[in-house]
This record gives sequence, C-alpha cells and structure tokens, in this order.
Amino acid sequence: MLSYYLRLAFASIRRTPVLSALMVLALGLGIGAFMTTFTVYYLMSGDPIPHKSHMLYAVQLDNWDPNDPPTESAKDVQPQITYQDGQNLVNADTPAIRQAQMYASNVIVVPESDEPPFDESVRATYHNFFRMFDVPFLYGQPWERREDEDHAAVAVIGRELNDRLFDGANSVGKNIRVDDQFLQIVGVIDDWQPTPRFYHVDAGGQFDDTEQIFLPLSWAIDQPLLPSGNTNCWKPPDEDLSLLEAFLQSECVWNQFWAEIETPEQAAAYKDFLDNYVRDQKALGRFERPLNTFISNVPEWLEVNEVVTDDNRVLVRLSFLFLLVCVLNTVGLLLAKFLGKSGEVALRRAMGASQGAVFSQNLVEVGLIGVLGGLSGTGLAWLGLRAVESLYRGYQHLVHLDPVMLTTAIGLATLSAILAGLYPVWRVSRLAPAGLLKTQ
Amino acid sequence: MNEIGPIFRALTRNKLGVFLIALQIALTLAIVTNAAFIIRERAADIARPSGLDEENTAIFITTLFDSKVDQRQLFRDDLEALRSLPGVLAATPTQSTPASGGGWGEDIFNDPEKPSNEAINTGKFMVDEHGLETFGLELVAGRNFRADEIQVASLDEMPTSSVLIVSQALADELFPDGNALGQTIWDSPDGEDPMEIIGIYERMQNAWPHSSNVNNSVLVPNLPMFNGTMMYVVRTEPGQLASVMAAAEAYLSENRSRFVDVVRSFEEQKNRTYSRDIAMVKLLTAVITVLTAVTGLGIVGLAWFSVTQRRKQIGTRRALGATRYDIVRYFMLENGLITTFGLVIGLAGTVGLNWFLDTQYEVGRVPLWYLPLGMFALWILGQLAVLLPARRAANIPPAIATRSV
Repeated sequence: MLSYYLRLAFASIRRTPVLSALMVLALGLGIGAFMTTFTVYYLMSGDPIPHKSHMLYAVQLDNWDPNDPPTESAKDVQPQITYQDGQNLVNADTPAIRQAQMYASNVIVVPESDEPPFDESVRATYHNFFRMFDVPFLYGQPWERREDEDHAAVAVIGRELNDRLFDGANSVGKNIRVDDQFLQIVGVIDDWQPTPRFYHVDAGGQFDDTEQIFLPLSWAIDQPLLPSGNTNCWKPPDEDLSLLEAFLQSECVWNQFWAEIETPEQAAAYKDFLDNYVRDQKALGRFERPLNTFISNVPEWLEVNEVVTDDNRVLVRLSFLFLLVCVLNTVGLLLAKFLGKSGEVALRRAMGASQGAVFSQNLVEVGLIGVLGGLSGTGLAWLGLRAVESLYRGYQHLVHLDPVMLTTAIGLATLSAILAGLYPVWRVSRLAPAGLLKTQ
Repeated sequence: MNEIGPIFRALTRNKLGVFLIALQIALTLAIVTNAAFIIRERAADIARPSGLDEENTAIFITTLFDSKVDQRQLFRDDLEALRSLPGVLAATPTQSTPASGGGWGEDIFNDPEKPSNEAINTGKFMVDEHGLETFGLELVAGRNFRADEIQVASLDEMPTSSVLIVSQALADELFPDGNALGQTIWDSPDGEDPMEIIGIYERMQNAWPHSSNVNNSVLVPNLPMFNGTMMYVVRTEPGQLASVMAAAEAYLSENRSRFVDVVRSFEEQKNRTYSRDIAMVKLLTAVITVLTAVTGLGIVGLAWFSVTQRRKQIGTRRALGATRYDIVRYFMLENGLITTFGLVIGLAGTVGLNWFLDTQYEVGRVPLWYLPLGMFALWILGQLAVLLPARRAANIPPAIATRSV
C-alpha cells in the first residue's frame, strides 16, 4: 500500500512541479537556516567534560575596588584571580581533592632542524591540571609535584606539536627549545579538545584550540612568560618595585583557578575555606570589599561567562521564526494544491476509497515533500555552517553536523511538513464526492 | 474601486487561505524590521572612525627570542629601515593599536584627592615622536613629543611619563571647562608623579571598540620593551600599503633571532575585532534576503494557482467585457487587501518581537520610522509578486468561457 501511495505521491508532485519545488525549497531554506544557528547554539552550550563537569569548580575572589558598585552575583566579579592569591591557595591545605592555578602565554618554538621558528600557545600550570581535567596521554605522563616545587624545566606537549617536531614518535625525554630555553618533555597529550574550552573562557578564547605546550607555572614565572590572556587591574602597581615584581604582588587579575571537589559537603567546606582565606587577607589590609567568594561548576561557569552569546540566541530565535514563515508558506501552498485536486479525490472516493485511505494517501505525499525538504535543508545547513565558520574566528570546533543534528534536521523537516499538511489533507479527505463529480 | 466589495466577499470564502498569507506577511514584517534594525546598529558601530588613516596603515608584531641580541639597538635599526622603505610616510613603535581588542587601560585623575572610583578610564598607547603622524592625528592644541622625551618602558623599569597627549574626548571628560592643555593629571590617587597634558588631538579610539569610553585615548612617550615582543605601526602613502607590507615583512624576516608574528593591514585588524558584528550583519542580511524571497515566491505560487483555478471565471469576466487591465487590477487589489491585513497584524508582531529581543538580549528599541518603511517595502513586494500571475490571468482568452471544462 505504501509503495502505491508513494507512486501516487511522485506522480502528483510531477503534475505540479513548480508548486512542489516551491514547497521543498521553502521547507529546505527554513530548516537550513534554523539548523545552522541551532547547531552552533547546541555545540556552544554543550558540556565539554560530561563525566566530571559537576566536580570541577572555578574560583572567584572579589578583590576589586572598594568604591565599585556592590557585588550581586558571580557575573559581577572578575573571572580571574591574582597571582598572589593563586599561590596562597595552591599552597594551602584545602578540602579540595586537587587545585590548579594557570595562565596562558605564548612562546617561540625553535625546531632543531632547519625549519623556521614558529609561535605556539602555552599553558603555565601545575601537575594537577592533567588528572583534574582527565587529559588523555599518548606517551609519558604529567610532571610531578616535586617538579612544580623545583621550578623544573619540563613540558607536556600536544600530539600536533609532537607530530610536527618528532614525526609522531615517542618524544618523552627529548628536549624542546622555547625562546632561548630548553624544556625536557615528560609527556605527550593525545587529541584533546574540550568545547567550549571551559578552563579559560574569557578573552574570546572560549572555542580556541587547546594549548600545545603545558609547563610548570613556577618555571614560567622565572623566565618570565607574560600572560597572553586578559589582564585587569584596578590599582596601580607598587612603583618602588620593578614592574615584574610589582605585577606579581599587585591586585591585577590574570590567573585562572580551578578546584576538583567530589561531594556537595566538600564544596561547602571548600567555600568556607575560601571565605576564611579572604578574612585572613582582610586582616592584612587587602580585600576591602564585602566578603564575596564564588565557586561555579563547569555548566555554571559557562553561564557566568556568557559563553553562549546573546547574538547567538537572537539568531536562533529569528531563524526559528523564519522556519515558521516557511511552514506557513507550505501550509498555504498545500492547501491550494490539495483543494485543486478535489476532482481527483472525489473520483477516488466515488470509486470506493474511504476517507481514511484518502487521508493517508495524501499524508504520504506531504511526508515525501517533508523528507525532500529535510534533505535539501541538511545540505543548506552544511553550507550555512561553512559560512558561519568563515565569518567567525575560532569556530572551527563548532561547525560540524553530527549524526544527532542530521537526524534532527530530517526529522524536523518531515514533522514540519506533516504538521503543515495535516489540515489541508484533512480538508481534502472530508470533501463530499457527489457535488464535485457533478460539476465535471 | 467599486470592485473592493466583491473581492472582499470572495476572500471571506477562503478565510483560512487568506489568514495564512496574512500571517506569513506579518511574521515577515516582524523579522525583517527587527533584523534590519540590528544590521543598521552594527554597521554604524563598525563605520565609526578609529581616528587612524585606516586604508594606509599596517601593523607588524615580531618576537625576539634570543636574549643576547641588543633589543634597544634592534628597535633603532628596525625603525630606521622601516622609515626608509619607499612609500612609507611614518612609523612608530607601540604596544597596541586602536580597535584591536587588546591593549592597556589606565585610570587617570584630574585631582589626586579623588576616590578611585572617580578615575577616568582611558586607553594608553606608547609611541615615540613619530606616533602622531603615524596614527594620522591632527593636533588641535599644544605640541608633539620631542625625541629626548621618549623613555624605555620595560619589566625592569617603568618610567612615569611627565608629558602626554590626550584625545579631545578625554580632555573634555577630565576638564569640562575646556582648559585641558597644560593641566596636570595623575595616574594614581596618591598624588605622586604628576603628568602634564602637552597636546590634544581630535579623535582616536582606544583598543576596545565596544567599551563605553571608546574615544578616550592617550599617547605616552615610551618605547615599549616587554620581553621580546616588538610592535610597529607603519603609515604609507595612498596606494602603497601592499608593497610596503611585503617589503617590511621581507626586512623583518631577515633577522633569524626573531619570529614575525603579525603582518596585517589595519583594516584586517579592525575586521577581526569586529568579526562578531560583521558576522551578525552578514547572517541577518542573508536571513532578510532569503525570507523576502520565500514570502515573495509563496505569493507568486498561491496567486498562480488561484489563476489556474479561476480560469473559467476570468474567461467569463473577459467575455462579459472586462478588459485585461481590469483582470490585472483585480489580482493586485486582492493582494493589496491581504497584504494590508497582514501588515496590520505584523505591526503588533514587530513591536512585540522587538520588545522581547530588547528585554532579553538588549538589542535596543526599533525607531518608529522603521515601521512605515518596512510596511511599504513589503507592500511593494506583494504587488510585484502578484504581477506575473495577474498578467497571466489577463492573457486568458474570453473564449474559454464557452468551453465546458
């Protein structure tokens, strides 16, 4: 029966090629536009580390200008902390399982071969970073606590850099030259790209590639490697010290700080620990604002930092309305088309087809238009995503159609078409055959 | 015009069909008007002048990775070489550029007794005595830096500049009475290190085009030497940008102790900073275009179909003496009625959608004059879309009335 209905549907589509093409095109464009913006939105709001996102907490301490307006939520507090607070916390005995202070920098890598030097992004951090974020290792392992304490010249490099410098061979134990220093490689990371890159989401880098070089923060400060991310200050640095020393001791924020916490009780204890730390610092004359500390797990953190932009939400809303227009368009065209074939329907009814049979036969036709619309919509969404990729910098991890989105696209199109067709199909199946046959 | 009655009565026989088109036109109006408004806001933002000679300016960033090289000397050599390239008007070292998204901010006080929250925030650019000319700035008052006023700023020594040149916007904010030239200002509330305003230029943006005080900027006489990063801005004679960029890159790449990070025209840099706004403009333009096309084609399709359906009636009307023009007018009037109905609903939809977008995402309020403009545009679209089917209807021969089918 279905194959017969399908044959009828194809025949009907061929009889009104322009009208059918318009419907498929309209549905396709609506689906394409909506899927494009929604895919970006869906991937932006994805959980970058699903199995652990509720155990990882970003730390905020409100060390800002006492004359600024009062803090109402985590969004009002700087997303980064000072170097000195990072050092104090990382060296304290805390209820957290692991903590890591970190910042981003840039270096020039000088290959041993004749290849020209190139620049590479760097993350200066602690040995805890890798176990905390479950970073997969291809060779070797993270450095140890002792190497953090010794300011050791060691590095963990990314797979891409390892391929480039060592043709993908196990490079553990070898040296890599950054600027005019040598670092000993202790580990090579496998492909690792949390999206969004939750551990450092400000400075427009929320969808950036992960760094290719990780090294001890203690060593980075010795060089010094200057931060490449945002640095915000509210108080001028101490002018009696060298700029670097003054910068390290300043109230400028440029470090990200994360803690791994297993249970809600631990989280509460950790929050108390932070509050007590700030109280101690208040006694030393710092933190002149009212006591405000915030810990946010990964989903909360992405919300606090508005990783999904308002622009993105506006585009999703507008393209949804656009899809709605396309569906309305299709309903109108279907209604016209089906009422136009009243004669044929009347004939079929007179020959004994039941209302139900007419209904399902026409529904098959509508469904077919939906599937065709969905297919063209998927194609258009693919083009749309390529356009988005070229328009925004750093969106390359955000613009792929995964199987979920593909099925959703075709499903959505078929569903829209069937919803659009339900009323016209119902109308046409309810026509009384006798009157129509007479006028022929 | 006496046809309106019959047309209207004919429409009431197909209420749903009419309502569907009207609703489609209403939604189209709401989307197009709001999208056009957002596009225009963003485009206006992007079009604001940075103050620089945008078409003839290039940015170069290199990183020196060999600490044995004398960086001070390298600065001198670089600047001499860059300035002597054919087509170069001026060159300056700096640590940031306007509209680049990354730079230095500074809080400035016009009175050392003021609390820190009354500081005035400004973007800071370190330049030498060629900075003004390179950035294409005209002094409205005062003088330029002298060569002997330029001091090295590094991680070890951060000199306090005793002289600086400010933008008119910053001067006005610091000294609303208009007497900024020659005044003393401070960079910290402790009253140490007074700085004198020796010059005022008309306009230059800071590094953050989306900040509220975007036109606050200040030039300080420093040679920025922070680690190995060395940044130059070069201004060329008109039309010489590409050749200067190529020649400068070739020169900078000769030195094997440095890495050339960035060779970029100012316009490219600006486009990167505004990439989100540019993307929004392009995506919304695409939405408007395609949406208009879909709605227009929908009207064409429906009218075409209705013409086919009414062949016999049209033929009969023609046979009874209606002219071709009468037939065309019938369809145009019919479309005009439906569109007007849709646009009236759309008016409420547009305001509602704008209210939603503004309260949720702060896109701003659509000015009222957008509404008649959008309505007029869509009304014309409807008339144009129906023109082709209407002309086809007009071509139906009267003889068709005499045939049975």
